[in-house]
Amino acid sequence: MPFSLLVSWRYITANSFQTLLLVLGVALSVVVFVFITALINGLSIFLTQETTSKIAHVELEPPNRIARVLIDDSRFVAQPVSTLQRKQIRNWQQVIDIAQFTPGVSAISPIVEGNGFLVRGEATRPVAIQGVEPSKVDAITNISAYIISGSAELTTGGLVIGADLATELGLLVGTPVLLKSERGAERLLPITGIFRVGLASLDQRVGFLSIRVARPLFELPDGITLLGLKLDDPAKAPAIATLLHNATQLKATAWQEKNKSLQNATEAQGRTGNFIQAFALLAIIISISSALLLSTYRRRAEIGIMRATGVSRQFVATVFILQGVFIGALGAMLGATAGYLLCVQLASITGPDGDAMLPIAPNEGGYALVITLTILGAALAAVLPARAASAVDPVEAIQQ
Amino acid sequence: MSHTLLLAKDIIKSFRNGEQETCVLKGIDLNIPQGKMLALQGASGSGKSTLLNILGLLMRPTAGELMLLDQSLTNLSDGSLSKYRNQHLGFVFQYHNLLPDFTALENVAFPAAAPQGRLTGELRKRALHLLDRVGLSDRSHFLASQLSGGQKQRVAIARALINKPDLVLADEPTGNLDQDTAKQVMNLLREINRTDNTTFLISTHDNNVASKCDEIIRITDGKIAPT
Repeated sequence: MPFSLLVSWRYITANSFQTLLLVLGVALSVVVFVFITALINGLSIFLTQETTSKIAHVELEPPNRIARVLIDDSRFVAQPVSTLQRKQIRNWQQVIDIAQFTPGVSAISPIVEGNGFLVRGEATRPVAIQGVEPSKVDAITNISAYIISGSAELTTGGLVIGADLATELGLLVGTPVLLKSERGAERLLPITGIFRVGLASLDQRVGFLSIRVARPLFELPDGITLLGLKLDDPAKAPAIATLLHNATQLKATAWQEKNKSLQNATEAQGRTGNFIQAFALLAIIISISSALLLSTYRRRAEIGIMRATGVSRQFVATVFILQGVFIGALGAMLGATAGYLLCVQLASITGPDGDAMLPIAPNEGGYALVITLTILGAALAAVLPARAASAVDPVEAIQQ
Repeated sequence: MSHTLLLAKDIIKSFRNGEQETCVLKGIDLNIPQGKMLALQGASGSGKSTLLNILGLLMRPTAGELMLLDQSLTNLSDGSLSKYRNQHLGFVFQYHNLLPDFTALENVAFPAAAPQGRLTGELRKRALHLLDRVGLSDRSHFLASQLSGGQKQRVAIARALINKPDLVLADEPTGNLDQDTAKQVMNLLREINRTDNTTFLISTHDNNVASKCDEIIRITDGKIAPT
C-alpha cells in the first residue's frame, strides 16, 4: 500500500466520530442527488412511456406536395404540383417488406386515415377515423387494454370510439351511428366498443374501423394513407425514421417531432434537476473542504514535523487530497446505497388504483455519475486544505 | 584529524517586524567536524535556536554561506533543501514531536517511508532494529500517544537515525525529561555517536549534558563566543 494512502487512512480513522459525521453529511447530499435524479428520470420515463405506448413511434406518409415556384422575368408564380392526385401509399406492401427487416422495428400497421362526422339524430361530431387491420388494432395503441365497454373486435364491421365522443353523442355499445366521410360516403355502423385511453385527443375524436370498411368510405380501394411503426426502443425513432425515409423516400416522422412540448417539458425538468444536483455537490465540496481545513490547523505541528524531517510538500498535499477522496468515496457509496434503497421503497408505495404514487425510477438514480462527481468534488474540495498543509512552515509549527 | 561536515561562513539572520529589523545572528562562523558530539549553549534569546534552525536547513540565513559535505546549500530550492534534510540530517526536539496516531515503528520509519512511497519490509526491519537499539523493540506496535515521555524521546532518536544521517541536530533533547531518563538518553546519544560515527549538535541549557560532549560552542548575543 502506498505510504501516503496509509497516512491518509490513519488520519481519517484517528477521529472516527468526526469522520463518520462528515461521511454522513456527504452521504446525505448524495441521497438528495440520487433521489432527484431518479425522480426526474422516472417522471421523464413515465411521461415518455405514457405517450409512446399510445402512439406510433414512426409514421410513414406520402411526401407533402410542394408548390413549385416558377419564375418569369417579372414575377413569382407559385403553382401546386400534383394536387389532383390523392395522397396515398400505393405500394405499401413493399414498404412493409422494407420496414419489417429494419432492425428495431417491432410492429407495423397499415392505416387508412380520414376525417368524417358521426351523426346521431340532429347531433353531429367530428371524428378522426383510423381504418386498421382487425388483427393489428392493438399494434399502435393497445386499445383492448383501455376498453370500458364492448370490445376492440373490428372483424364484425363495427366502430370502436373514444368515451368522450360516445358520451357527447349518447352512444352505447350496440347503438347504430351514421358515419359521413370527408369523401361524401355514408354508412350506418354499430358501436362495438368504447375506450378511455386518458388522452383527450384520442378519447374525444378517434374512432377505429376495420380497414376493409374504411376503404370505400374514403375511396381508397388499394392504397393506404399511413404506415404506423412501433419500435423496440422509442428513443431510436429519429434514427430509424431517417433510415426509412432514405429507403422509401416517404415522409418519415419520429414521435419526438410530433411531441416537442413533451420533450421541452422533460428538458426543463432536467434543468431544474441539474440545479438541485449542483447544489448538492456544492454542499459536499464545502463540507469536505471546511472539515479538512480544520484538520490542517489541528495537525499543524505534526505537518511541521513531517516537513522538518524532509517529507516533501507534495507528500503532505497528497495525504490531504487522499483524505478528501476517501471521505468522498465512502460518502458516495453510502449515499448511493441509501439513495437506491430509499427510491426502491418510495417506488413500491402505490395508490388505491395500484399505480405507483411517485413516478420514481430507482435504477435511473445516476449512480455512476454521482459517485464519480462526488469523488472528483471531494478531491477538488481537498485542494485548498492540501495547499494550506503543504505550505506549513516547519519552524513555526514546531514552536507552537 | 576529522573532516569538516558542515561549514557555516559569516551567517547573519535578521527578522523584520514592521519597520523594525532585529539582527539575531551577527556573523557566525562554525565548523562542525564529522564524528564529533558538540554542545551548543547560550542564554535565552542569544540566537541558539535560530542557528540550529539555519544549520538544520529549516530556515534560510539573511546572508552568509552554508556548506554540507563541501556542497554549497545557499542557492538550493525549498524542494532540494527538503531532500538534503531528509537524506543528511536528523532531528530530535525537546517535546519529541511524534505523530500520535502512528505506532512507534511507523514514527521511526516515517522519514524514510514518505520519500520512498512505501513502508517496505526492509524499512520495517531497519526501524525495528533502531527501536531495539533504543530499548523499545517491545513497544514497536504501541501508538506514540501510549508511550511515556522518556520512551517517546527514545523513539524520536530512533526516528532521527532512520536515514543514517551525517548530522543529528538535537534541540534540548533532555529538557523535558527527569534526571535519570535524561542521563539514559544522553548515554544513548553518546553510544550512537561512538559506534556509528554520527555527528551530533546538541543545543542545551543543561551543563551536565554539555559536559558529556566533545566540545561546547557558546553563543552570546548572536555571535560565537571565543573559547
